[in-house]
Formats: sequence, structure tokens, C-alpha cells
Amino acid sequence: MTVHEGAPPGAVAKYDERQREILRGELVGLVAFTILALGGVIALSMAFAGTREMMGYRAEHTYNYAGVQTVNFQQYMERIGRPIAQPSAEALQAYSEWVAKNPRTVNVQVLNKYLGEKYNDTNNVFAYMSAYFTPGVGQSCEYCHNLQNFADYSKPQKTVAKAMLIMQFELQTKWIENIPRPEGQPLYQIKCYTCHYGQAKFWNQELKASNPELFGVAGGGNPTPYDMKNNGITLNGKVPSSYEVVDDRYLATRPDAEGNYNFYQVTANKDTPAGLVDTYRNQYAMYHQNTALGVGCDFCHYGGYFKSYVTADGVFKWPKAQARHMQAMMLDIALNWFPQMPNVNDVTQAQNYYAQPNCYMCHRGYVVPPGAAEFPETPVKVADPEIKPLVELPLPKPILPTSAGR
Amino acid sequence: MTTEVYRESFERRTKTVRYLRFLEGLADTQVGPIFLGMWGTVALFSYLLSAFITAVGFGEQVGWNPIRFVRELPVLTLYPPPPSYGLQLAPLQEGGYWQIATFFLTVSLIAWTFRAWTRAVANGLRPTVAIAFTAALFLYAAIYIIHPISVNSWNEAPGHGLAALLLWTNHFSVKYGNFYYNPFHMVSIFGLLGSAVILAMHGATILATLAYNAHKEIDEIEKSDEGTHRAQLFWRWVMGFNATAHSIHVWALAFASLTAIAGAIGVIASGWLEPNWYLWGCRAGITPGIQAACP
Repeated sequence: MTVHEGAPPGAVAKYDERQREILRGELVGLVAFTILALGGVIALSMAFAGTREMMGYRAEHTYNYAGVQTVNFQQYMERIGRPIAQPSAEALQAYSEWVAKNPRTVNVQVLNKYLGEKYNDTNNVFAYMSAYFTPGVGQSCEYCHNLQNFADYSKPQKTVAKAMLIMQFELQTKWIENIPRPEGQPLYQIKCYTCHYGQAKFWNQELKASNPELFGVAGGGNPTPYDMKNNGITLNGKVPSSYEVVDDRYLATRPDAEGNYNFYQVTANKDTPAGLVDTYRNQYAMYHQNTALGVGCDFCHYGGYFKSYVTADGVFKWPKAQARHMQAMMLDIALNWFPQMPNVNDVTQAQNYYAQPNCYMCHRGYVVPPGAAEFPETPVKVADPEIKPLVELPLPKPILPTSAGR
Repeated sequence: MTTEVYRESFERRTKTVRYLRFLEGLADTQVGPIFLGMWGTVALFSYLLSAFITAVGFGEQVGWNPIRFVRELPVLTLYPPPPSYGLQLAPLQEGGYWQIATFFLTVSLIAWTFRAWTRAVANGLRPTVAIAFTAALFLYAAIYIIHPISVNSWNEAPGHGLAALLLWTNHFSVKYGNFYYNPFHMVSIFGLLGSAVILAMHGATILATLAYNAHKEIDEIEKSDEGTHRAQLFWRWVMGFNATAHSIHVWALAFASLTAIAGAIGVIASGWLEPNWYLWGCRAGITPGIQAACP
């Protein structure tokens, strides 16, 4: 017996037809839903991946980290469509007259001090200048030099360039040469274009405000103004006047009393103060590093436990040890070098003129910065640099593999 | 008695009914009558107030610029006060907005629970929906109220905003050493996956038996050769046993509630009971490669 008994003539057939309609509708709906859902996810993923690639954020590497540069300065400049500067004809003419009169250098103070006697030869200095300064800052010789007297310091740009050169060698000898790295990994050198990429003024507040994405603010996952404001983040103990642009000082780490550089206290222990502020700040800084180096978290971290320097398989995460070292260098730049750089426009405003260093400044979306140079001569550590650090920052205690298993 | 009350007022209540054809296939096309009542009024008023305060906080953050508001809505967040305020009231811009919005959100959710309870009783039903809702409410309370109080800081609660909850989930996990090693979280995930499979099995079974009047529920349950009997035979064929038309709903309710309740316990236990779930996993011997990554 069924529930259809006693139904009017034709009702059962009509009812059955209606049931079939419903079933067909469900089938169509289910298929459409699946196609739309999966298709939507795939399309969004592809669009997102395509956008990131266009923006130059594509990861250049596999996670089999070798520390080898994959895009060099010339290739990077080609990618961003910026020409590589050459000395002008006028400058070359002036130089040929200068070197004829002065085959030995006059008043060269930095290159010979850090790179040796070779740079008491005018032609060697010119070769260095043409290879690194001119392409680096995108300017011909006359930008800094008086073409009638190359030894003259009448142009303020030359004073700035000299200070920058000292910073470059000091950073190289203190930080880059001491970075923890696996055997056989190449070591690159800082040159002008490592940061400048063909622009004399490349990292000031004005540029930062108009190009926040370059500074890892937009799209880089850095703290938004609101995060800073609502998490009580202060600058030098004071509430910042503007939250419009993130202060990249928060990317820098701080050494503790024992010389250990701890990024932030992120993972809790029994004595951890309550609150997620440090975690938020740390995570935003980490997202910035994702963007700046074009890598995912597991490039440096073991995903199961972010604090660990080794994976579950015992593989030592060199990039984590290196990132920690680089963050200490960034702090050195922020505290000791940028504040001491003379400014061609207004010396009294020097400390407010620059933007704080961050990872993107040099890395530009790559693990090894395109502007890192393969340079055969290693600068020496000098005892009395002309510009001394304001605060003596210790080298971080190196984190190294502690056993054969690591 | 309650059934009679229902029947007596039926004619009066259906005067306010509307039919929305576009709902056909998705839900019943009948909309209304809706009952507001005291708890409904409190819930609605509190929720609107909470949303309004959140919107004011967002508006202030974008300088009252509607274009920025729309553009940045996914990341706009009303954050709780910084840890320096502990459990005190904070100034509006430093988390005060969040505190007020959260207070009214909590009132709204509690009132909604009472609304579900009182409407069920008035309708002659058991208040199981309200009881089930308290499981979700418990998880909400654990995250927004109980855990922050246990660590003496509102700052550990999530902000209000679309991205804020995702960020909080990640950051809370990072802070407490990887939440996937939290055993309560494991149970919660078990409940989540169980709920999904039970709901899918149940939904699919009912749809499969539509042609045999399974949607007519009680009438056809009592007749052999109809939907329910065929469904039960189907599951006996497939897996050897079957739930009853009653027990499947108990299973569904139990699994769904377990998800929220276990999750809430996991959140509450974080901090004072175990500050680092990864290290707990190391001690418990459940982490992969335990010799390498465990300190």
C-alpha cells in the first residue's frame, strides 16, 4: 500500500513528473555549485598569482636554499625599465685630462683605506666609480665632482657619497662578512646600487609617502595605520603624529642585555605578559619579509614550530639564522648610519629626511638582492673609521647547527 | 494546550505573511509572521548598537571617507585595548569602542538565546535549539571574555572586522606555540569533520528518498516501503547499520556542539594551563621528528 491511494486520476503521474523535475533541478544545481565554487577558487588563485608575478613578487627559488643570486643588477634594471647610467661625454673628456695630469690619486680617502694600495691609482678609482657609483646612483661624474678638479669637495653631494661609501664598507666588514652561512654559499658585497638601484634619492619620506607599496606598506602586509594606532604602538615612547605610513623601525630587532637579538617575544611561556600586541607586530614584520624576499614562511621557519631553527627532519634553517643577523644589521643602519648621513638639501633636517631601512630596500622581492655585487676584493676592517657608530651594537651570537644531525 | 493556542492564533498571525517567489528552491517562499517580543527587541537593538559602534570606529579610522571605507573594509579592524589597560575600561580610540561594541554584541547573543528558548516553549517545542546555540555562545565567551579575563588582558580577544578574526586565529596559534597540537583543538576538529560528514550523509539521504515521500516525515516513517525505510535499508547495505530518523539528529547536534565546546575548552586552557601547545606535544610524544625540533 502506498500513500497515493485514493488520489484523483492523473495526480500520481503528475506527482512523479514533479519529483523528476526536482531531482533534475538538484542535479543541475549541484553540478553548477561545484563548478562555480571550484572554478571561482581556481580563477581567483590564478588571478592572484598573475598579479603577484606582474608585481615582481614571484618567488625566484625553490626552498632548496643555496643563497645564489638569480637576478642580477642589470637584469633587474631591465625588468623595471630603468636605464643604467654612464659617465657623460663631458665627464669622460674632463677625466682624460685629469688622469693625464694625475696618474696617482689626489685626496682619495676611503677606497684605498678599505680596499688597499690599488686604489691609489687614478685609473683603478675611475674604473670602480664607473662600475658602481654611476650606475648605482644613476648620475654621471659631475653630479658629485667638480670636473675641473676631481679631488675638490666643493659639491655637497661628494661629501654625502663619501659618507655613504664609509657606511657601505663598515656594513660589509661588520655584518655581511660575518653572516652565518653554510659552507660553499657565496658571499656578495654591498655596493651603491644594492640599495639605490639607479636613483640618487631613493629612500626619502616624500618617496615613501607617494609609493607606500615600495616600502612594504600596501600589499606587503605591513601594519596598517589602524593596527599601529589601536595596538598602542609608540615611536620613541610617544604616540606618532601620523599613522599614515608605517615606521619601518619596527622591522628592526633589539639586542637584549646578553647581546641576543630577539625579534619580539612571540610565543608564550609561563612569564609572558598578556596580550597579542607583540605577536601582531611580529607577524606584520614577517609578512613584510615575505613580500620583500618573495618567499613563504617556511623558507625560514619550520611550519610546525616557528621558534625552531630545525625542521622535524632535523634540517637546519640557515635562512632563519641569516634573517636574524640581517635584522641586526638593519637596526645598525637605522640607529648608526642613516642619522649620520649628511644631507645635500638641509643638514639640520638630516634625521627627518630619510625613511627607515627595511628588507625591501635592498631585496626587492628576491632572496639575494639583485643589487648584491660579486666583487673580488674583500674590504679590510679599519681601526678608526671616519664615521663611528653612535651606539655600539654587538654582533648577534650566531645560531649554527649544533650537531651532525642538524 | 500550547497546540491549541497555536491554532487559535494562526488566522491572526498569517495576516502578516508575504510570499517571496525568488526563495523558491532555496527555502519556503513564505516570509513571516515574525515575532519580535522583549528578547528579540533586546537582541536586535544590542546588535545594531554593536554594529553601529564598530562602524563609527571604522569611520574614524578612514577619516569618514566613504570610498576608503568601502575599499578598506576587508582589513578595517576595531582592536581591543593594548595590554597596558589590562581589564580596565580604555579610552574610545584605544579600545574603548571595542569594549562597548563587544558588550552589546554579548548582550545581543544572550538575548538571542533567550529568544530561541522562549519562542520554542511558546510553540510547544523543546528548547533544544537554544541549548545548541549555547554551545556556540560558550565558544564566543571563551574567546572574547573568559580567556582574556584568565590572562588579565582584553588584548587577547579578537578585534572586530573581517580580516581581524583570521589574523587573531593565526596569531593566537603562534602565541600559544601552534594550536594544532592543542588536544582540545584536535577534538574540536574531529567534531567539525564529523559534523560535516553527518550533515552530508543526512542531507543526501533525505534528498535521495524524496520520491518516496521522505520529506513528509512522520506519515511516511510509519509506512514500510517508503523513503525512511528505503534510506535505512540503503545504509544497512552500505555500512551494515543505520541511524534512526531520531538518532541521526541527535548525532548531528552532538557533533556540532562538540566542535564548539571542545574548541572553547582549548582556548580557555591556553596560557595558564599550557602556554605552548607544541611543547606539550613534545612532552606527549606526538610531534613528528620529535628529537629534532623539540627543544
